[in-house]
Amino acid sequence: MRSTDNAVVVEGIRKSFGSVAALRDINFTVGRGEVLALLGPNGAGKTTMVDILSTLTRPDGGQAVVAGHDVVSDPAGVRRSIMLTGQQVALDDLLTGRENLVMFGRLQGLKKSRARARAAELLDEFDLVHAAERKVTTYSGGMRRRIDIACGLVVRPEVVFLDEPTTGLDPRSRQAIWQLVSDFKEAGIATLLTTQYLEEADILSDRITVIDHGTVIAEGTADQLKERTGATYCEIVPRHMEDIPAIAEVLGSLLLLDQNHPGLTLTAESDRISMPAPEGPNTLMRALHQLTAANIELLDIGLRRPSLDEVFFALTKRHPEDKSVVEVEFGRNGQPSGGQPPEHTDGKSARRTDVEISS
Amino acid sequence: MTEMSAARPSVSSVQQWWVLTARTITPTFRNAELPTLAVASIIFTAAFYLPLKNLMGPVIGGMSSYAQYLTPMMAIQAIAFAAVSAAFRSAVDSVQGINRRFKALPIGRLIPMASRLSATMYRCVIALSIALLAGHVIGFRFYGGTAHTVSFCILALLIGATLALLGDLIGTWNENPEATLPIMVVPQLIFGLLSVGLQPIHRFPEWIQPFVRNQPVSQWVIAMRALAGDSTPAAGAVTWNSIGPALAWILGAMLILIPLHALVATRRR
Amino acid sequence: MMTLTVKDSQLVVDPPTARGKGRHRRVPALPENSLRRLVANTGVLAARLLRRWSRDSATLFASVIMPIVLLVTVDIVLGEGVTQITKHDALYGTVPLIAMVGIMGGANGSGISLMRERTDGLLSRLWVLPVHRASGLASRLVADVFRIEVTTAAVLCVGLMLGFRFHQGPLAWVAWMLVPVALGLAFSATVITISLYASDKVMVDATEIIWIVLMFFSTGFVPLHLYPDWIQPFVEHQPVSLAVEAMRGLSHGGEVRGPLIEMLLWAAGIAAAVAIPMALGYRKASTHG
Repeated sequence: MRSTDNAVVVEGIRKSFGSVAALRDINFTVGRGEVLALLGPNGAGKTTMVDILSTLTRPDGGQAVVAGHDVVSDPAGVRRSIMLTGQQVALDDLLTGRENLVMFGRLQGLKKSRARARAAELLDEFDLVHAAERKVTTYSGGMRRRIDIACGLVVRPEVVFLDEPTTGLDPRSRQAIWQLVSDFKEAGIATLLTTQYLEEADILSDRITVIDHGTVIAEGTADQLKERTGATYCEIVPRHMEDIPAIAEVLGSLLLLDQNHPGLTLTAESDRISMPAPEGPNTLMRALHQLTAANIELLDIGLRRPSLDEVFFALTKRHPEDKSVVEVEFGRNGQPSGGQPPEHTDGKSARRTDVEISS
Repeated sequence: MTEMSAARPSVSSVQQWWVLTARTITPTFRNAELPTLAVASIIFTAAFYLPLKNLMGPVIGGMSSYAQYLTPMMAIQAIAFAAVSAAFRSAVDSVQGINRRFKALPIGRLIPMASRLSATMYRCVIALSIALLAGHVIGFRFYGGTAHTVSFCILALLIGATLALLGDLIGTWNENPEATLPIMVVPQLIFGLLSVGLQPIHRFPEWIQPFVRNQPVSQWVIAMRALAGDSTPAAGAVTWNSIGPALAWILGAMLILIPLHALVATRRR
Repeated sequence: MMTLTVKDSQLVVDPPTARGKGRHRRVPALPENSLRRLVANTGVLAARLLRRWSRDSATLFASVIMPIVLLVTVDIVLGEGVTQITKHDALYGTVPLIAMVGIMGGANGSGISLMRERTDGLLSRLWVLPVHRASGLASRLVADVFRIEVTTAAVLCVGLMLGFRFHQGPLAWVAWMLVPVALGLAFSATVITISLYASDKVMVDATEIIWIVLMFFSTGFVPLHLYPDWIQPFVEHQPVSLAVEAMRGLSHGGEVRGPLIEMLLWAAGIAAAVAIPMALGYRKASTHG
């Protein structure tokens, strides 16, 4: 019997659809009150994983335990403990908000009066009282998402699955959902979040599991992942784009690849330069000093840590939203991280040069 | 700055129309739609002929057989079935938002409708052919010579076009596929049953005879019977008297429906 | 704007002790697949469907208006002719026939809305709730019973206005109202099954053809002996004819038991044939493999 401290335990899960292996040997855990973000490009297997955990699909092998119930042998127990909300708003849209809430309450065992009371509470908390008697078809996108989540909270779940919960929402609604996730945390509810918004994963989650092609390729906190794939770098944005070659000369060949474009060739579109900053602020000071001496006007100069976007590039060799290979390499001290060096559009392969700034 | 996209080619309405039309026709070669249409046409024929043949037999106003009497009506029913399907399809389209997309493209306002119409006409032709085939099986024959026979078919297709326009309009305006069906089916039945297509006018109760006599389906049936002819003179001669009203209904309907369609096609929501 | 305070006071759960500790139990559960659960869940879900259908003009139209219009029309067209031949009012055959037609026509909407709910994800949402696994399907069938009765009642009302009368007493009247249910449910189950396995369009076309055949080739439309000999066996023994004859017997007079039993056999047979595909199809539509 597994330890009951972990709300979700996934071990060795495998699942194939026909000849396509959607999941191969997935392992992770989510503790109580923890928020785990499941990150991965389209087709990585995130949705399949959530389907397995919510008993919508059976795994081919391995074991998954949600709130102490095995998804295969005790799916009813799992269903009692979870709340699932997906990208689509899955409600009866010809019913009013209140009617939906009452229905979900009664389906989960509440008596009619209690279901009504609970519905009133939730309408209040989610700021939907003014729309309670209107049919859900008339709700705006943000309102629908709120009523969708409210319906899942009529009876308190132990584990919450949020499948891309803020996709397509306006910023205000997105903030509201983020607030909700931290409320879950406080209440001790475990949350499994899948998202394509890396900033969302960054901000909300305690830990991140990165999935690609059905396997876990990295896990850790957001900070840990960023550490793995690149140190702090210094980003320089000149006031005049034509100065870029001049900057390049002034700073020597300490240049990293330009952020926006692959390759060492600075094209007419480069508008900034990035260079490794092994000494952090000191490197920045030196660069600033040299550039001022050369009379080059700057728009911005600062220290940056790699975003989760870049973590993604490094780990999966591609942008999280598309499937094409992007030619970007990052690495620490000359070692390209990950596999082979990228190809350029002109056919030459890139090599990172690492030269110290000479003072 | 390199070319981001090809220069916008000049817009050919015909090409647009063809692309859109092919879009709805090509799948029919693969899916079950054509056989369904064929089966429906045959069923309609059998459903009206077999039960009513003996009921009506002795009283069909002098025509040679009930088959001769009934077949024009069945042709119309089969074509109407094709038109109802068209309405359903257009309702599905508008629900899926394709129409909205079309509104924002540089397509002539009426081209999407024209293409849907073409696709429906294709189905009407098939429906008509099968209905005539079935009619032939039960004994219907063309007695009027080539010109009249061709006119018969043209008239039938014009009727189909009118009904398709109507159905398409309803489907697009309604945007509710589930509701479109009953809305179309009920009038089809009413106008079909309360017409001289099934039985001569004197068999109807007095109070409804004016309606039966003057409604468009009756007029169409009378015209088609005249064009098809008969071994007896009971079918009526082909004169402006017998054909005129039928054409008038079609023309009148089109004059109303086409502008209405342009209106709905550009309606802002 | 929105803070979630999880108030457990209203619910029968243990309040959270400290973060990460304690097991939080739900409402003390009846096992998910218990009979009581089935009844309760089915009730809630059926109520939902009925509420939904009552707000949807299409269903109302198909279930009430279309049959009424059809009844009046057919009576106008064929009423006199058939009455002359059978020596009793044609209505005794036409009214039950149109009731059945209305029931079959309205089943369409049921299939279409099922498919909509699948696409919208509502089916999956309901599957993931701790409800009885059969409650989804059961609720659709229960809701259909209501729909069937509403259609039957509407057609009966108009029939009464046109001259239909009950000559066999109140008990027979009750039975008359109930006869359509068995066959209607079998038809609903068939429509649902077709919807689950084929596209909407196919289902719609198929059901339209089916009910047209069943309507025109039944003894409620035209007396049996007027049909060509070779098709009379079909006309006589098809389920809608049997329902019509049973109902004719219950209203005007005539044999009831024979047709009724035969019709029930049909209904049972159809139900048995589609039961398993329907259940499997529903589960497939609710889950993701």
